[in-house]
Amino acid sequence: MSLPTPELITGHDMGGASLIAAAEHLAGRSPSRIAMDRLRSDKVAMVSAVVVFFFVLIAVFAPLITRAWGVDLRGGDPVTDTDQFGFPLIGPPYHGFIWSHPLGLEPLNGNDLLAEWVYGARTSLEVATITTALSTILGVVIGLIAGFSRGTGDKLISFVIDVFLSFPFLLGALAMAPIILNRYGANAADLQRASFWALVGILTFFGWMPLARLIRGEVFSLREREFVQAARVIGVPTRQILFKELLPNLVAPIVVSISLNIPAFVTAEAGFAFLGIGLTGQPSWGQTINRAQGYFQSDPIYLWAPVIGIMILVLALNLLGDAVRDAFDPKTRR
Amino acid sequence: MIGYILRRIVSAILVLFVTSSLVFALFLFGPSDPSQALCNVNRCTDAKRAQIHQSLGLDQPFLSQYGDWLKGLFVGREISFGPGFHIDCNAPCLGVSYITKEEVTPYLMSRFPATLSIALAGFMYLALGVAIGAFAARRRGTTVDRSLVASTLVLSSIPFYIFALMSYLYIVLKWGILPDTTYVPLTENPLTWAGHMMLPWAVLAAWNCVTYARFGRGSMIDSLGEDYVRTARAKGLGEASIVVKHALRSAIVPVITIFGIDIATLLAGTIFAEKIFNIQGIGLTALAALTTGDLPVISATVIIAAGFIVVANLVVDLLYSVLDPRVRLV
Amino acid sequence: MRWKKPVIAASAVAMMAVAACGGGGSSTTENPTNQPSGPSGAAGKFIDMSAKAPAAPIPGAIKGGTMTVMSASGATTMDPTEAYYTNTSSILEAYVTRSLTQYEYRNGDMVLIPDLATSWKSNSDYTKWTFTIRTGIKYENGDPVTLQDIKYGIMRSFDRDTFPTGADYSNQYFKDGDTYKGPYASNADYKGVQISGDKLTILMARPFPDMPYWGSFPAIGPIPAGDASNPATYKNHPLATGPYKFADYQQGVSLTLVRNDQWDPNTDPGRRAYPDEIDFTFTDETATIDQTMLSDSGTAQSSLTYDNVAAADYPTAVQQAPDRLVKGTTPCTAMWLPDMRKITDINIRKALGYAYPYEAAWKAGGDIVGVTKIPGVYIMPPGTPGQGTSPYDVLGNQGSQPDTAKAKQILTQANKLHYEIKFLYVRGDDLAEAAKDQIVKSLTASGFKATPVAVGVNQYTTVRADPNADINLRSFGWCSDWPSGASWFPPIFKTVPGGEAGPANYGFFSQPSVDKKIETIATLPLDQQPDAWGALDKYIETTYYPAVVIGYYGDVFMHGSKIGGMENDTVFGMPTWKQMWVMK
Repeated sequence: MSLPTPELITGHDMGGASLIAAAEHLAGRSPSRIAMDRLRSDKVAMVSAVVVFFFVLIAVFAPLITRAWGVDLRGGDPVTDTDQFGFPLIGPPYHGFIWSHPLGLEPLNGNDLLAEWVYGARTSLEVATITTALSTILGVVIGLIAGFSRGTGDKLISFVIDVFLSFPFLLGALAMAPIILNRYGANAADLQRASFWALVGILTFFGWMPLARLIRGEVFSLREREFVQAARVIGVPTRQILFKELLPNLVAPIVVSISLNIPAFVTAEAGFAFLGIGLTGQPSWGQTINRAQGYFQSDPIYLWAPVIGIMILVLALNLLGDAVRDAFDPKTRR
Repeated sequence: MIGYILRRIVSAILVLFVTSSLVFALFLFGPSDPSQALCNVNRCTDAKRAQIHQSLGLDQPFLSQYGDWLKGLFVGREISFGPGFHIDCNAPCLGVSYITKEEVTPYLMSRFPATLSIALAGFMYLALGVAIGAFAARRRGTTVDRSLVASTLVLSSIPFYIFALMSYLYIVLKWGILPDTTYVPLTENPLTWAGHMMLPWAVLAAWNCVTYARFGRGSMIDSLGEDYVRTARAKGLGEASIVVKHALRSAIVPVITIFGIDIATLLAGTIFAEKIFNIQGIGLTALAALTTGDLPVISATVIIAAGFIVVANLVVDLLYSVLDPRVRLV
Repeated sequence: MRWKKPVIAASAVAMMAVAACGGGGSSTTENPTNQPSGPSGAAGKFIDMSAKAPAAPIPGAIKGGTMTVMSASGATTMDPTEAYYTNTSSILEAYVTRSLTQYEYRNGDMVLIPDLATSWKSNSDYTKWTFTIRTGIKYENGDPVTLQDIKYGIMRSFDRDTFPTGADYSNQYFKDGDTYKGPYASNADYKGVQISGDKLTILMARPFPDMPYWGSFPAIGPIPAGDASNPATYKNHPLATGPYKFADYQQGVSLTLVRNDQWDPNTDPGRRAYPDEIDFTFTDETATIDQTMLSDSGTAQSSLTYDNVAAADYPTAVQQAPDRLVKGTTPCTAMWLPDMRKITDINIRKALGYAYPYEAAWKAGGDIVGVTKIPGVYIMPPGTPGQGTSPYDVLGNQGSQPDTAKAKQILTQANKLHYEIKFLYVRGDDLAEAAKDQIVKSLTASGFKATPVAVGVNQYTTVRADPNADINLRSFGWCSDWPSGASWFPPIFKTVPGGEAGPANYGFFSQPSVDKKIETIATLPLDQQPDAWGALDKYIETTYYPAVVIGYYGDVFMHGSKIGGMENDTVFGMPTWKQMWVMK
């Protein structure tokens, strides 16, 4: 698993300054606009976008899909749905395909695997989007502050970033799990909510640094430019300079960061669940993979359904992200 | 140069210090009572708990405990589990396991070679990745290059643990192509050691090298376009010499930087690798300690891992300054 | 005795009608379907003091070879004083440490036979036991074993500070057990053990008819005094008196045993010691173990496991290698113990018995119906002398049929509809959570209000033992330390002063009439005790119904094709180590 990739750090060859240079030749079109146009003509990007959109639809309409299909989430009855060894009495692996349960039933508990899969997609994207949003905001804000405050403030923030970067986040996350449990263990609904936000919190907490570093670097170079100097001279307040003058010039690195973060967080969510320290009480692909590994011979579809789900989603997100990066950065060519 | 190195070292130590303090505070103020692991569940009266707290010094104020802990780190200390059962914890003392009653430092050090063996793959994929990247960059735009880029993208999009898990289940368990993965100490039998590490290495190297191939390719393309390469060409230098001596040297710099930052990811990767390939290294030790509530072991693994990352970053930074003539160290 | 690893799953029981096999009698009950080899006879209903050394060779068995043992259960301390899990105790007992007595496998039964002691006797009320000790025994380093060493071993067994997780029978039964704290806490001599010539006499604080069984524990064996047995290091290398010694031990990871040339087979009536070397690994993945065993290639042929075959692989194993599966029972009962201080109405407790989703919870929890969990209604598990001698079935459901309608009816009549049941489950354990889901479903259908309380795996046992925990139902699995009712009723149902959970009274059960019966049975002649325990079993359940029995544990182990002599040891629920060999 990788949290937001270090690729960002090579930001020396992408970003606002060069974008502006590119834009000068194409009068009247904003850099973002150019990028979008470029993206639209990229076939791989478009196919990926469709796939991602498909997953988003599944995630958003998970309850509707399961209802339409007539399957319940975790509604299995081990006594009537499985044989004496816990293998499903209908569908794979021992019985033929049936439409009412296209992915079959889960061994041991008889739960429907389609519902589990659909809700797994929902969990995955939910965590990834919320976390990406939060870590982007955090990264941008901290990066802006660091870049614009000179001296001590910047040093302090850089030091904090160093500390965070050297903290083994996975082990840290491991260690924090029991705290939540102690606090919310007695109430199932609270526990589920708390563990969801704890996961989002931990991923955010250890996911904002690359973007913050990048923004800081960009701001360093931007703040010496004429338009910022000019704004300063005429007495525009710092906050306004930061958000009105600088932020629009940082769209490219932010978009790039988001394109990297979403697949990374999808991966991380499932990875945590796989290690047994992620979400429980609600479906997650990582959890299903963990449960299903023992069945890789006797009931392969149980394992392969979530594996293929996560592989396709992450691949599509990455391909799309790659295209976005290409589109926003005129210097890289595929 | 020396000034820069000193500054980097001081900041590394500072980072490590802050991290360890954070970890210490987290566990001390965390909700699980350290005495829990030590108390026989059926006889764990309040008096008994108090006694354990007292003999471990957990009834002391935070700063004094932290002081003791620091003292143990530098000069060692004695840890008492009750009357007649004291354990000398030698410096650098990271505590004594509540479960095994072993000193944590040597205990973890005995697990470290396993983790390190896995992490060796890091250097394999770095070298392999850069080589592939340079190769692709030289043939930029050809079918070879395109298919290489495409396949690296696909492979690196598969989450690492899935790639590792599926490889293990099918290559070892189902088809029996490679031997089962366990850790056999290198000193015991280098061949068996390598044999059992084959799959973890292959998996880590294959999965990671594609990322580095991509970085390496991009950075190679950049440096092949630089003026000094053009100059070298103009001078009539051989192509091999240009690529290896001039272009590669500067192209490798950003790759090394990424590698340094990537150490944390590599470490996370080894935790998954240890879990999936069942190799008893630091990661599995931490996971096991978590289920038993063995706080000294958990916190020590976090601190050691942090130390590992800090040192690796330091080394990379220093390496960076040696490799890149443009980096001026003041 | 503690299960291989801490029992955490709240799961339980099954269908398959008949409770397996009738305990104390000589019956070889018809096995339920799907259980070809089934749980075998009554564990240790025999004591055979006449067994002579050396142990008779097993026809066909050969010496030599390396046996590999795989497990996923981990392994805790190997200090003989503290080893109290079934895996560590049985490995030590069979191979490394000798004690006063030992077990031998005979046609499905485990028989208690002499080890270091050649004979033993007690006074009429079992408060003074005298053992005659064999001479000429040596440690692996050649030092002679003295009676003083055995005494020192016994003294160590009192120390609950240094060895908090060890068995506490010395504290409970031996003279001054409540005050003496072992040799590390004070230099005072322990007065409860007297030595004269080759006679070792142990004095009791109260009647202890089962002393010879406690004498088989590694804790009641010779341990040299002083630095040689420093608790900080001894756990990594206990001095061997048995046929094998530690060559290498990494706690929880692996153990290599090699021959101990100081062991003399002519002094040992039980251990055969066929393999030259035994390699244990304790950290394998279940899937890996199963696939290795199924493949039966290379070293897998001389390998075995004492972990149960996973449900995922069981059908394949039955199909491909039925002759390499060893099945049997473990003397463990899983129970639901309602908190007797809170759930005072017996009708509610009975409603819980009807509400428990036996088969559903069992399957969801990963158990194999009728194989790794076997339904039943008695507190004492199969194989315990006296089990079923007073037959009963309080709910009339054979311990396997839930009846939510009946439960609801009982609750309605008692005007206790929506009565809240709060119980613990381990968060993060997928199987435990799945079983919990079934339990919640069934409780709700029965008219209860189900409130599962999540705890981490490392806190589960602590919270469960906490008398003040905010729960009113505890799920609990207990395994006997030796085949006797004395291993069941005193720890689980005897009043514990001060309202603590005591050794195993997790229901906080306290009835003077039961306390009195327990005391009385301990003083009966030995041959009358089994039936008396069986009668007490019935009395407690029919009068108070303080425990919903949710199944017995079963074993199903796999071994390679070159392993000989592997059966199920019904005392430990482990392989019959002492008689196993590696074929050529």
